[in-house]
Amino acid sequence: MEVSNKPNKYELGEMLLEIGSLLMVSGANTERIKVTISRIAGAFGCDSDLLITNHALMITLTYQHKNKVFTSVKWVPNMHLNFNLISDISIMSWQIVLEKWTVERINQELAVLNKKPLYPRYLVLLLVALAGASFCRLFGGGAIEVAVAFVASFCGLFVRQEAMKLKFNFYLSIFFASATASLVAGFYFYLNPTETYIHAFSTSVLFLIPGVPMINAFSDLIDGNTLNGITRGVNVLIMAFAIALGLIVSLLIYKF
Amino acid sequence: METLLFLEKGIWLGFAAIGFAVLFNVPKRALGTIFVIGALGGLVKFFMIAQEIGIVLAAFCGASLIGVISVLAAHNRKAPPMIFAIPAVIPMIPGFFAYKAMVGIIELTAEKDSEVYTKLFFETVNNGLSALFVLLALSAGVAIPLLITRKQTIKRIQPDDNLEVEIE
Repeated sequence: MEVSNKPNKYELGEMLLEIGSLLMVSGANTERIKVTISRIAGAFGCDSDLLITNHALMITLTYQHKNKVFTSVKWVPNMHLNFNLISDISIMSWQIVLEKWTVERINQELAVLNKKPLYPRYLVLLLVALAGASFCRLFGGGAIEVAVAFVASFCGLFVRQEAMKLKFNFYLSIFFASATASLVAGFYFYLNPTETYIHAFSTSVLFLIPGVPMINAFSDLIDGNTLNGITRGVNVLIMAFAIALGLIVSLLIYKF
Repeated sequence: METLLFLEKGIWLGFAAIGFAVLFNVPKRALGTIFVIGALGGLVKFFMIAQEIGIVLAAFCGASLIGVISVLAAHNRKAPPMIFAIPAVIPMIPGFFAYKAMVGIIELTAEKDSEVYTKLFFETVNNGLSALFVLLALSAGVAIPLLITRKQTIKRIQPDDNLEVEIE
């Protein structure tokens, strides 16, 4: 493939690492990162070799005729799920291949890409609380239990967002959220001990379940990215442990 | 009446899927699809459980349905399939089993009576294994359709005429 304006060897590699790191943070699985990066590198006529771990990316780019080689490592920040970004980057990678974008153009587009949440914070809180209420209904809760699960999920997610803003440890934020949600849910049943608490109490923390890392762990394992799959799996276990710890705290406080 | 109750579950499944979709910040054009496939997958699971098919197989079938539809939806809605599949499959997660298993483990640590312990141990292991295998079935059910169809994506790296129409 003939490339008219050959990019400087640093800017192409750094741009690819930036894209890889954005994908990793947003919750893409390893195979998608590999495919996307090699697709874009292919559009510039380069071979890319990637090493992907949960907290760092390493790339070696080999240019045509092996006249230039570029290697670099980039640190990946903590997970912050954003599926919109994954979708935008996926569409962009096809456009890069078809329309032969320059590196400057890609960098401009990356800067313009919407990295902020699409939905206002209170809409997210309300819909997640609704999801919590739906869970409670699905597991067989009555009207009051559904309402309790709604309030509990709302408070739990609010605390988690605040804890993340204050830059608490990721797992500690989950623990705070799970403890808050179950304490709020348990409080109503503490005052009304005759009613069944179990539905609302157990579903109030379900909004915290790490579904994305869990499914990514599995698909990484199936793809043969065993190390990444195991890392993600252990991550899921720690998150589940943090949720359980929060529940235990409220169980001990209310002595259910 | 029973049918109505069954369909009501579909609505709640859809809302649960939408809640997670918003939490994961999916593109707005995907929300409608996620509601529908979340409800469909969950209803398949509940229907199969009502027919006394095991919960693990039921979860696997529901998740596979979600995986297959999300691959089809990915072409129409211009987003990777996992964006549809992951939020839609989350309402099927067996939270109740996991909760019971966790409480069971806590109680086991304090239990001294061997008679009660045996019964409790049986229940805890049963609940824990159910939760584990349903989770595995859900992940496998979603991941496998995506893996099967991924070959086509790699094929499409060679630009063809349809592709240009597809991504505009």
